[in-house]
Amino acid sequence: MRIAHWVWALAFAVLVSSGLQIFNAAPYLDASNASNPARRVLSIGSPQDGVGTTTIFGHTFVTTGWLGWTDDGLGEQSARAFPGWVTIPSYQDLADGRRWHFFFAWVAVVCWIAWLVSSAVKGNLRKMLLSRADVRNLWPMQAYYLRLRKTPPPYDEYNPLQKAAYTAIVFIVAPLIVLTGLALSPGADAIAHPLTVMFGGRQFARLWHFVCMLALIAFFVLHVIQVATRGVVNQMRSMITGWFVEEAPPA
Amino acid sequence: MKRRLFVAGALGAGLAGCGPIATALNNSSALRGALGIVDGPDDALLGGEHLAQEYPPSAIAPVFRTNGLPTPADAAYRALLASNFTTYRLTVDGNVERPLSLSLPQLERFPQRTQITRHDCVEGWSVIGEWGGALLWPVLAAARPHRSARYVVFHCMDRDDSGVAYYESLDIPQAHQPQTLLATHLNGVALDPDHGAPVRLRVPTQLGYKSAKWVHRIELVATFSHIEGGSGGYWEDQGYEWYAGI
Repeated sequence: MRIAHWVWALAFAVLVSSGLQIFNAAPYLDASNASNPARRVLSIGSPQDGVGTTTIFGHTFVTTGWLGWTDDGLGEQSARAFPGWVTIPSYQDLADGRRWHFFFAWVAVVCWIAWLVSSAVKGNLRKMLLSRADVRNLWPMQAYYLRLRKTPPPYDEYNPLQKAAYTAIVFIVAPLIVLTGLALSPGADAIAHPLTVMFGGRQFARLWHFVCMLALIAFFVLHVIQVATRGVVNQMRSMITGWFVEEAPPA
Repeated sequence: MKRRLFVAGALGAGLAGCGPIATALNNSSALRGALGIVDGPDDALLGGEHLAQEYPPSAIAPVFRTNGLPTPADAAYRALLASNFTTYRLTVDGNVERPLSLSLPQLERFPQRTQITRHDCVEGWSVIGEWGGALLWPVLAAARPHRSARYVVFHCMDRDDSGVAYYESLDIPQAHQPQTLLATHLNGVALDPDHGAPVRLRVPTQLGYKSAKWVHRIELVATFSHIEGGSGGYWEDQGYEWYAGI
């Protein structure tokens, strides 16, 4: 379980970076089957040298240096959606980006299954999943955090909000990011076209794939903040048990 | 606690540092090979006999975006274009009993098929169009391939800036698929030069780079390791997967 968690974390880092490399080859996302500028949700571009822009739902922002006009991984600034310091490889190389992505996609899927099996066997999985009682306590827990309530509702190892996050990530977002990724493959589309249709078409699946990545990154940030604050804020100690304490690799 | 902070910080730093590390690693062909071990399982899992989805005419895009290079600029292709392709011949040779040299009217006498399919570019974009042309397999069968023929190599008329000619390859099961066409028409009219006139390959179950444009010779071979870079295609020689269904 520990090994699966850490290898998955490594795979996730590589998948995000190589995924952004792949995104850079066509730096836009459409809510459609075939590409359709009329249904463009996000596009990153460079209208002229030295300027980077990001357009979301038709609203354009200047993002020079961060998106659109960025470091090309070779020490120069150029028209490039995501900068070289977040992509694998750092310079534009779709072929190698795809190789990293497809290799670590397998690693991530194998880790996900290994983690599920081992945590189910150890009994940790049951403690992390949202139960019916937890659903009732979701709002009281949130109210406690918002200081609308003096005491948190009763819970064991993980609070209801944590359980909701874990459940959503492990059982909804993780499978979705795999399925939306598969829907991008013309081979998989031929085998299971209804899957592509379910996501609204190939380009739409590309959009969902990106949204799932954002959800995983948001989870990662919260997850790390929780880990980092755990020792500092003593009264929250019981909130975040296990996970990082036991899973830190020997330094 | 410090160790935990360190671990969290290291993960964050690791994410930002992946690019440069991978860049350094990518200069190793051994690493490329190691990452490529998933190609076999990917092909086995996704290759198969399944056909690409076909669409109604309403799905056809008003403009079919050009993939790859525009019209070849060399004199031989220009001359062919000037003759309105009356001097064009498609050669089928290699490990065959009866090599062929087919004019366009002769190619049109082979079984034809029209299909509205989506073209998926490796870059990530897609476009839907109606393709018409000769089924590949009957053309190959007419040349009577030897048993030793395992791959079909498509030689093209376009060259890159370094003079390297485009080529692609399929294995026999892929060549046998009923949607694999020697396309001569796009959206009801003869192919224009940018889209691969007069004959291009169409393989709708794989990415666009498989669908080679400006095909002039089809060679049946036991192996493609002696051709150009040895990886079975122009883009494959530059690191892209030979199985382009993913």
